[in-house]
Amino acid sequence: MTPPSPVLALARASRRLSGRTIVEDLTLGVHRGQVLGLLGVNGAGKSTTLRMMAGMLAPTSGEVALDGVDLYADLGRARRDIGHLPEEPPLYNELTVAEYLAFCARLHGLPRRGVDAAVDTAIARCDLGEVRRRLCGLLSKGFRQRVGLAQAIVHAPRLIVLDEPASGLDPVQALRLRELVASLRADHAVVLSTHVLSDVVACCDHVAILHRGRLRHTGALAELDDGAALRVRVERALTIADWQAIPIVAGAAPIDAHGWRVTLHEGADTAALATAIAAQGFGLQELRADANALEAIFVRIAESEAQAA
Amino acid sequence: MSAILLITRNEWRRQFVQPFAWIVLALVGALLAWQFLVAVDVFMKHAGKLASTPGAPGITELIAVPMLQSLSNLMLLLVPLATMQSLAGERRAHTLPLLLAAGVGSMRIVLGKYLGSLLLVVLIVALAVAMPLSLSAGTSLDLGRLAAATLGVVLQAATLTAIGIACSAWTAHPALAAAATLVTGSLLAMLDLGARFQGVENALVNWLAMSTHLEPFLRGIVSSVAVAYYVLVAAFALALGARRLDTLRTRA
Repeated sequence: MTPPSPVLALARASRRLSGRTIVEDLTLGVHRGQVLGLLGVNGAGKSTTLRMMAGMLAPTSGEVALDGVDLYADLGRARRDIGHLPEEPPLYNELTVAEYLAFCARLHGLPRRGVDAAVDTAIARCDLGEVRRRLCGLLSKGFRQRVGLAQAIVHAPRLIVLDEPASGLDPVQALRLRELVASLRADHAVVLSTHVLSDVVACCDHVAILHRGRLRHTGALAELDDGAALRVRVERALTIADWQAIPIVAGAAPIDAHGWRVTLHEGADTAALATAIAAQGFGLQELRADANALEAIFVRIAESEAQAA
Repeated sequence: MSAILLITRNEWRRQFVQPFAWIVLALVGALLAWQFLVAVDVFMKHAGKLASTPGAPGITELIAVPMLQSLSNLMLLLVPLATMQSLAGERRAHTLPLLLAAGVGSMRIVLGKYLGSLLLVVLIVALAVAMPLSLSAGTSLDLGRLAAATLGVVLQAATLTAIGIACSAWTAHPALAAAATLVTGSLLAMLDLGARFQGVENALVNWLAMSTHLEPFLRGIVSSVAVAYYVLVAAFALALGARRLDTLRTRA
C-alpha cells in the first residue's frame, strides 16, 4: 500500500538571507496525525525553517509543498490551511479574546457565517471559556499562549506551526499547554519548534534536529528509544573493564560515580542485563530505559559540529 | 470580505476602544470651536461695514476657508499621531506576523492600515467643516468653494497619512515614526518657502511643495494637477511602505 502523502513536504529547500545560507538542502515531511519536533540550538535555522513552512518566507531553492502543491505558487492556501503561532503570541491587547479570534478566523478566510462556531470550538479546545470576554491585554502569560494557540487553530488548518509555545510558562502552565499541543495531532499535522527536549518527548512522535542550517537527524521518537541506552545505577564503583566482562554489553559510559549509560548488543534484552549484573555482584540499584536518548543524539550532533568547526 | 477591509475595520475598532482617538477628537474639536467662535465674533463686529462694501468677502472666505487652512497646518502635527501606531505599533507588539502569516500581501496590509488611519483624519476634517456649515441655517455660504477647500484639505491629509504609514512601516518605534512623519510632512509643506521669498513661483521646487497644490482648492478651484500630485505622492509613500514590509518578511 502506498503511504499517504505528507501534508507538508520540504524538498531540498534552502534559504539564503543577506548573502548567507541559513537553511540548506532541507528534506522532510509532516503527515496528518504527526507532531514533528524541530530541534536545534540557537542559530540552527529553526525560525527560518518554520517561516518557510508557515508560508512567510519562500525558499531560495527547492520546494515547500502543501498537500503536494507548491505552497508559494498559491499563498491563498497558506491563509486557509496553515495556522502559525510565533514565539510571542500576536495578540491585539485592545480586543477581547472572542473579538480577536473572530478577526483571526476572518483573516484566514473563514466565511462570516462560520466564524461564531469556529470561535466557540477554538475557545472550547483551548479551555478559554472563562476569559472569552476579557481583553487580551489583561491576560496572564499562560492564557496569552493559549489564545495564541487558539488563533492558530481557529480556522481548522491542515498544518499548525508552533514556535516555542511553552516558552516562559510556569511548570503547570507548560504541562497543560503540552497536553493541548499533543491533542492537536488528531486533526492536524503539527510542527513544534523548541530547544526544550522534554517538550519534544512529551508532545512529539517525530523529531528533526537542525544544526548550522542542515538537517542532522530525523525519525520517529519511538525508533530512538528502541536502540537506546539503559541507565544503570550500582552500589560498587566500576570501571569500563567491569562492564566489558559482560558479553551482552556493547558499551558503557559513566554518568557519575555509580551511574552508567549502558548499551546492549542487538538482540540482548534488559532482563538478561539485570541477571548478568546480579551475577557479577555489582549491587544493582536502578535499571531503566535512558529517557535522554534524544538528548544524547542532540548533544552529539552539537558537539561533533563544534569540533569540526 | 477582502483582507484590506478586514484590516481596516480591525484598525477602526482598535482605535475607538482606546481613549487616544477620542481625546484627539475632543481636543481638536475644542481648539477648532474656539477659533470658529473668535472668527464669528470678529465677523459680526464688522458685518455692517462688509455689507455696505460692494464685492466684500463673505462668511465662507472670512471664516470657513481660514479655518480649513489652519487645519491643514494642524494636520502636520495630527497625522503623525494618527499613524504612528499603525505598523510600528504592530511591530512593537509582535502582532505583525499574524498578518504576514495569514497570506495577506504587503500592499493589502499597507492599504488596510492606511484606510484605518484615514478615518480619524477624515473625522477631524468633518468636525472642522461642520462648524462653518452650521452657519448655513442663518446665512448663505459659498458651498462650492467650501467643498473645494474641504476636498483640498482631505487630499493633503490623506497624502500625509500615506507618508505616516510609510514612516510607521520603517521603524518599530511609534515615536520615531511620528517624528519622521512630522519632519517629512513639514519639509514637503515648506519646500518652496525660500524660493517664494525670492519671488520664484513657477519652478520645480514650487511644484514639489505640498502647499502649492492646496492653494487652488482654497480659492475654490479643483485642480486636476493638484489631485494628481496628491495621488502620486500618496501612492509612492504607500509603495515604499509595502516595500518595507516585503523586506521585513525576509528578515532573519
